[in-house]
Amino acid sequence: MVEGYIGIDVGSISTKGVVVDREFNVLASRYLRTQGNPIDSIRRLLAELGGQVDSGVRILGAGTTGSARRLAGVMIQADIVKNEIITHAVAASHFHPEVRTVIEIGGQDSKIIILRDAIPVDFAMNTVCAAGTGSFLDHQATRLGRPIEEFGALALKAKNRVNIAGRCTVFAESDMIHKAQLGMSTEDIVAGLCDAIVRNYMNTVAKGKEIHPLILFQGGVAANVGVKKAFELMLGHEVLVPEHFLVMGAVGAAIVASEETDGKGTKFAGFDVADTAFETRAFECDGCPNRCEVIETLREQQVIDRYGDRCGKWSKL
Amino acid sequence: MKASFPNLGYDTYALKTFVEDLGGEVILAPPNSRRTVELGALHSPELICMPYKITLGNMLEAIELGADTLFMAAGARKCRFGYYHYLHERALKDLGKECRFIAVTQYSPFDFVFKVMPGIFGVSPFRVIRAVAKLLAKSRLTQEFRQQLNRKMALDFDGAEQAKPKALSVIERAHTLKEIQAARGEVRRIFALNGSEPAIRLGLVGEIYFMIEQFASQEIEKELGKMGAEVVFERSLYRHIRHLLSSDPAFVRSGRLARRYLQESPGGEAIRTVGEAVYFQQQGLDGIVHIFPFTCMPENIALEALQKLSEETGLPVLSLSFDEHTSRTGLLTRLEAFVDLVKRRKLGRRLHRN
Repeated sequence: MVEGYIGIDVGSISTKGVVVDREFNVLASRYLRTQGNPIDSIRRLLAELGGQVDSGVRILGAGTTGSARRLAGVMIQADIVKNEIITHAVAASHFHPEVRTVIEIGGQDSKIIILRDAIPVDFAMNTVCAAGTGSFLDHQATRLGRPIEEFGALALKAKNRVNIAGRCTVFAESDMIHKAQLGMSTEDIVAGLCDAIVRNYMNTVAKGKEIHPLILFQGGVAANVGVKKAFELMLGHEVLVPEHFLVMGAVGAAIVASEETDGKGTKFAGFDVADTAFETRAFECDGCPNRCEVIETLREQQVIDRYGDRCGKWSKL
Repeated sequence: MKASFPNLGYDTYALKTFVEDLGGEVILAPPNSRRTVELGALHSPELICMPYKITLGNMLEAIELGADTLFMAAGARKCRFGYYHYLHERALKDLGKECRFIAVTQYSPFDFVFKVMPGIFGVSPFRVIRAVAKLLAKSRLTQEFRQQLNRKMALDFDGAEQAKPKALSVIERAHTLKEIQAARGEVRRIFALNGSEPAIRLGLVGEIYFMIEQFASQEIEKELGKMGAEVVFERSLYRHIRHLLSSDPAFVRSGRLARRYLQESPGGEAIRTVGEAVYFQQQGLDGIVHIFPFTCMPENIALEALQKLSEETGLPVLSLSFDEHTSRTGLLTRLEAFVDLVKRRKLGRRLHRN
């Protein structure tokens, strides 16, 4: 029987999972839409991953990452819960040890990670604004009636890249409509949109960072060849989209799980968690004027995790 | 006189003792909470910085408890903070709050001792000098407390959580200079540090209100301590008073060290922020965390200088700006990632050497 690790990355838009062997070769990988219900998507993910490896893999360690990493970690009883910066960096330097820049654009956030000698040395994430992330591209593709999968290829056919205001998605959209009303082609406008996204990224997230090759482009938006091209034009370097760009966070989570367990044995609950009932609920504590929002996760009606309180009176179970 | 003033972190009690020494009765504002910020923000201009909003909230909550005299630091030498007392006074008047408002200028110690304080409290300058001496001693005590607490949290978080209330009540009870001196030893015994070093040490720099009042930064020292990082700092009320009395050697040093990255002061305490970061780098700390209020102009300029420092030396720097909308989840993700990064970097460097 093969031995390996499982990594799960639950983001705002998508839920990703991989099973890797001891050398971190990907044995199984799944990409699902979170659809606003991470509990359900994590369950489906486990069922599908379990189906793919078909009980032929003994899991030595489990790791979770992404914005719902804590919930996912509690559900599958992960050995380690790690933030998405480190997991993306770890996976990038595993597949491409010479990487010095990671550009990651997901559904609702974007980040840059700077590495030197395969060690992350600096990072930044978008703060208050989601302009130029996957959700916005999704929205525009729907508005123009084009499938998101073909959106990038459309941009490559552009003859004159149109200038689109990229500071804010609302203004970008009205600018796109304005340019369309002037009679400009959809291809040119979409190319302009890709440029605007890259410009926005460079001026906010990547501001002040020294970008050196090798540059990896990861996350859902890396599927968009138009944005990749726009990055290359802007940076003057080739931008590499790694083979497992969609699930790099999940692979990273599996790698840190192997570092964490290191032969100690795993707490992983198994793929049949898919059949267990989970529930999350929130309440406002009225113990003091801070009125913290406390979030708790229940497994089969039993509270298994609680957090969100500043003082710690709820989180200690 | 039922006097009150905005909370100032652990130094709130040092200030309370000061006012009591001059014969004032003190009504402390309730500890900073979400209500404080919401109350302050409700009556503040949208883009004014968080120190203004929290201090206004403190005043409103103190008035609810019966305070009739409010003290607020003033002195426009540094940044717009120096003008806040005008706005505070106007805001309170517009809200129909009846109270005496006293703006205390920070930058003329002579007037402070011989005119301002004797005028308000009807005491001799000699008594003011004695009270200032005690304020210095007590704020030095809280500085030492914070240093030990930060180290203890990084080494043994639960132990630190247990020791903290004990140490704080010792500090609160120390009134005379002699008691304060005894409390220093007592606090050291409570924390019982044995000289072991935490895995990583981070230098904290930034805007002074944020450096002293931990509520504004969502208790960043505690969160970093929980992640096993010791937070080292230079700025404190003690240092600030020393600086106002022109007797803070660290201030001169900061100016000298900052010069490579920032020649002219853009206002505020940007020079100190940069100078302290350079100092921490020279001391071999593993990284810098830079905190300041959203819309703070001087610290935004310091941020650029810190990026330059980071580029030149390879020292990791994390700059964080805060307002009342700052997401806790987002903050914790960044802190966790930064601590991980610093740890991996340190580990990697060790591997390279061997």
